[in-house]
Amino acid sequence: MTQHSVTHATFTIVRHYDASPDRVFAAWAQKDRKARWYASHAGWRSQDFTLDFRIGGREYLSIAAPDGVVHTFDGQYQDIVPNERIIYSYDMHLDRTRISVSLTTVELKADGTGTKLIFTEQDAFLDGHDTASQRETGTRSLLDSLAAFLATGDPD
Amino acid sequence: MTERSIHHSTIVIERTYDASPSRVFAAWSTREALLRWGNPGDGWDLAYDHFDFRVGGGDINRFGPRGGPTFRNETTYFDIVPDVRIVSASSMTSERKHIFASLITAEFILAGKGCRLIVTEQGAFLDGHDKRANHEAGWSEMLDKLRIELLRTQVAA
Repeated sequence: MTQHSVTHATFTIVRHYDASPDRVFAAWAQKDRKARWYASHAGWRSQDFTLDFRIGGREYLSIAAPDGVVHTFDGQYQDIVPNERIIYSYDMHLDRTRISVSLTTVELKADGTGTKLIFTEQDAFLDGHDTASQRETGTRSLLDSLAAFLATGDPD
Repeated sequence: MTERSIHHSTIVIERTYDASPSRVFAAWSTREALLRWGNPGDGWDLAYDHFDFRVGGGDINRFGPRGGPTFRNETTYFDIVPDVRIVSASSMTSERKHIFASLITAEFILAGKGCRLIVTEQGAFLDGHDKRANHEAGWSEMLDKLRIELLRTQVAA
């Protein structure tokens, strides 16, 4: 029998991007753009990615790690203010086990000619399957990928 | 133009009830019971427009003081372990403004013959329309009413 537990945590990551708030927002809002920095990682195999970017809309990403474990993100948008704010809740599965439920807020603020992004995640980690430090490390890596995507310019 | 802000805050509130975890869980998972205790204001109105308690399901309710502002809360259930825990996410709006988003965990823990309930509300207060003290008062009111609800159903049983 599984020993049930819930561990709550909150972490915040602040980044500056040399791109306007509308370009940073578009990287989250448009499926072809988000796929390039969010849904593809070297050595990982993306299986399914759907993005219905509107309040109440769903986002689903299923991606297999190099070790074969399938990571599944299943989320729902709670608030969207164009070029300013995105709020979503989601759960994460490793294969068939739900490991966490989270509420994420992404705030965009003009910062000189660029954008200050404040990423805050409030997590409930289930049954000891994940930790805040692992989640924060993974998120930092994603926000690095976003910087690389924004530096390469936008797709046509 | 609205000045955008988000204030993140976590509330943890605990109660111990003379009722089994399964009875306390039942009070969290049935519409009729929630209508009796799940109202954050004394004497406020509360109604459910939708109720679907299952993972992936959700509910929509409206509440508020009679003649005063109406709050609308939309909840999605993400994780349900019967008699053990419920994890859900909610959005609250009032007068067409999105005022609050949250992740709510309820844990039902056997304590002697009773149940220790731990509610954790991880909240994002939006644009200064709501504040933590309102939520602390609301949870306190609801969990006091839950004690009365559990006594009532014990007598009925």
